[in-house]
Amino acid sequence: MAVAELHGGGIAEHVHPEPHGFIRKYIFSIDHKIIGLQYMITAFIFLVMGGMLAELIRVQLMSPHGTLVSNDTFDELYSVHGSTMVWLVIIPMLTGAFGNFVFPVQIGARDVAFPWLNMASFWMFPPAGLMLYGSFLMGAPTAGWTEYPPMSLQGAPGTSMWCAAIFLIGVSSTLTGINFLVTLLRMRAPGMTLTRMPLFCWAQLATAPLLMIATTALGAALAALFIERQFGVPFYDPTRGGSPLLWQHMFWFYSHPAVYIMILPAFGMISEIIPTFARKPIFGYRMIAFSSVAIALLGFMVWAHHMFTSGLSPALQLAFMLLTMTIAIPTGIKIFSWVATLWGGKIHFTTAMLFATGFIVTFTIGGLTGVYLAAVPFDLHAHGTYFIVAHLHYVLVGGSLMGIFAGMYFWFPKMTGRFMNETLGKWHFWLFMIGFNGTFIPMHWIGLLGQPRRVATYDPQFWSSNFAASLFSFIMTFAILLFFVNALWSIRRGKPAGHNPWGARTLEWQIPSPMPYYNFKKVPMVFASPYHFSDPLPYRGLEGELDPSVPAPVPAGHH
Amino acid sequence: MAVEHREPGAELDRQFWIVTALIAIASLAWIAFALAWDITKVLPEAVRPADLIDALFRFLLAASGVVFIVVTTYVVYFSLRYRRRADDPPDAIGIQIHDHHALELWWTIIPTVLLVALGIFSVRIFSGIYLEQPTNGLTVEAIGHQWYFDFRYPGINGVITDEMHLPLGVPVTLHVTSQDVIHSFWIPADRIKADMVPGLINTLHFTPTHPGTYKIICTEFCGTLHSDMNKQIMVVQDDASFKKWYEGWKVKNAHASNALPGTGVSSASVNLAGGSAANGQKLFTSKCIACHGTGAFDAKVVGPGLKNVLHDPAHPQLLNGTPANEDDVAKLIKSGFTGAMGHMPSEAENSLSDKDIADLVAFLNTYK
Repeated sequence: MAVAELHGGGIAEHVHPEPHGFIRKYIFSIDHKIIGLQYMITAFIFLVMGGMLAELIRVQLMSPHGTLVSNDTFDELYSVHGSTMVWLVIIPMLTGAFGNFVFPVQIGARDVAFPWLNMASFWMFPPAGLMLYGSFLMGAPTAGWTEYPPMSLQGAPGTSMWCAAIFLIGVSSTLTGINFLVTLLRMRAPGMTLTRMPLFCWAQLATAPLLMIATTALGAALAALFIERQFGVPFYDPTRGGSPLLWQHMFWFYSHPAVYIMILPAFGMISEIIPTFARKPIFGYRMIAFSSVAIALLGFMVWAHHMFTSGLSPALQLAFMLLTMTIAIPTGIKIFSWVATLWGGKIHFTTAMLFATGFIVTFTIGGLTGVYLAAVPFDLHAHGTYFIVAHLHYVLVGGSLMGIFAGMYFWFPKMTGRFMNETLGKWHFWLFMIGFNGTFIPMHWIGLLGQPRRVATYDPQFWSSNFAASLFSFIMTFAILLFFVNALWSIRRGKPAGHNPWGARTLEWQIPSPMPYYNFKKVPMVFASPYHFSDPLPYRGLEGELDPSVPAPVPAGHH
Repeated sequence: MAVEHREPGAELDRQFWIVTALIAIASLAWIAFALAWDITKVLPEAVRPADLIDALFRFLLAASGVVFIVVTTYVVYFSLRYRRRADDPPDAIGIQIHDHHALELWWTIIPTVLLVALGIFSVRIFSGIYLEQPTNGLTVEAIGHQWYFDFRYPGINGVITDEMHLPLGVPVTLHVTSQDVIHSFWIPADRIKADMVPGLINTLHFTPTHPGTYKIICTEFCGTLHSDMNKQIMVVQDDASFKKWYEGWKVKNAHASNALPGTGVSSASVNLAGGSAANGQKLFTSKCIACHGTGAFDAKVVGPGLKNVLHDPAHPQLLNGTPANEDDVAKLIKSGFTGAMGHMPSEAENSLSDKDIADLVAFLNTYK
């Protein structure tokens, strides 16, 4: 088999020297796996903080005239909640954490292409988070995570801090995108052709250009907002010749692709987990891989569907409506392919598999309401209401966060060498499903019947649905607490898992857990797609990986 | 189909087709429900094109419900049927199928057809909303402010009203804009909304079809009192009542062009006997002071300054052109107020009692 020409010019053979000392090993590490875990821990801390803000929001809304916080404080709560969950939890978790930890090993690389850049990307993330939360000290932003001017021009001083924080995390995203794209294109092991890559790698390959290109538009928009707020240069203020819609176009030119940054990697994780536990090849590999790329490309051409009520020309509205609807086709292909993968399997319902299966159902709801909103006439009714809140949480919680939990239960043994507790995990899954659906299903109809989003008080006719949503949100929060208890307990006390407890076939499962700093003693050669469960593993050169008597590779001529 | 080995359960057997038949029955039942359901029972329709948008909603509900039933039922059915059993060998694997081109073609084609249908349907309704509405009727302008709406009827000489009254059956061209930040003008009963963007005029066309009173709600975050920007109404009424209202505003605007309109001021009077001015002062400094200063009328904080409010005949008239008197002030405090200056909370929102109001009026009376 002619594989030598696919070898990344010797880059893949490069070995870093073993890191010594706590700081080089765990703080300023250049090892993609440690950086992945750093991202993960940081993002989980922000998940807790964003979750607490969410619960304050739900407590306030338990009564139509909630008195827990003032209107202004309420506005700060949801603005920082949204910003946290998008930029400090889901994007870093799916790209920085799972991306870093999993895909370089899956393609048989020893690290990402630019390890120092990778470290720099991570170290922009905690300061950005501290800046965002620091904005509470000077009056946090209040105009939602979208911060539309002119409202955001009137916002408290913390709004400028918000600009700077999101700008910083944006730079981090852009650099990560470049790093991942080069790694995926240049660092694959010999024989790891694009069409043999695991689907998680395809998902990252589709996501990386989004991170790289779309985030720059956000950076420009944020810089302009910051300059206008601090130095008075009018970009957005219509009374001085600016345009409020300019922000909306630039913001959504980023933030719509960002929705795909937040869901494509989760699709990739589901595409790994379902075949592993169904003991079946993923159904329609090529179509799933192709649909990720199609979604990423179309994702650049639909941003103005967030602006149907803003005053776009009818011709533009029609174009954006029809382009948006086409995204349902590749998304549908993925969902049907996962369902077909379940058919005829020998499904092992671990917690990871439960979350992956639940994901298919909850994400389908979020995807379908997305088609509703694509239709301009319906959007004219639903835009800016709780229907949007329901839709976006079905995508980002029922999709992205469910995917993150599935991935956590799946890859936890690879991170720590131990299982997470399955009993607690199943409690987590079922309570989360009950809590999550109970929280967000009522929001569909209260939105359509007349409750706008971003309100601290509301019409008493919506009290019962809001009250139920709040009660169920407590169940959801409790379920997430169970997850944290489980994870913290399992790091030290979990049942030892060995190197490949799930019988998974991708490369990361063929080396010890936790993975050594060099990943592979010898870079393997790849002969086929990983998803043929009836065949032997399609790799050569992995014989010594689990054998402690085979020495670690020696770095040659390292800087 | 690349099947590498076969085992029991690998065929699309009777059980599979029974489940599929159940899915078909459930789907048909759902479609029947979605098409028959009377949406106006939960949310009235006030205008055309609300009926068109509801028709689109039914189509979406029917089609998406079917997709959801198909996906969820198969997920649950396959999960139960193909779960690993206790007596399976640990290395048991599923049927090694990689793809099935015909099936993949179908699940690309069927959603595409549904989406094309949705696209055509949406475009038709879209043109019904934007392009086919008659424009020869009444023109109204709505202007967003923090945190209320003004309405201008070009026929009434450039002056504002605080409710939007519309005659039944007359096509309306509604221009919306804003004087400060972005608001969004939504009447749920109309099923349409338009953002009120400063410096930009957006236009909605519709024709009132059902008389009634309907809420107008701001759906774009616009600052502290965004949550309260839902107190104003659209009234659809017969032509005679509309003319009466319209002429009333013409007269009012001609004679009292400085009057600031109030809404829903209570007609229930408050017993003012025995009000304690001392207690009233306490209440004033803990509540009213947030929006009202103690200076002259022009010394505005949010609301006007209240010095001399009950004693200065030259004090601008607060309520519909009559000078302020004790009863009117009490009613105003009791019912709250939404007008050109914004929203003043009601007795309940301020957690006041009638006795508190009597105290406050007594205080304002001593305040010269």
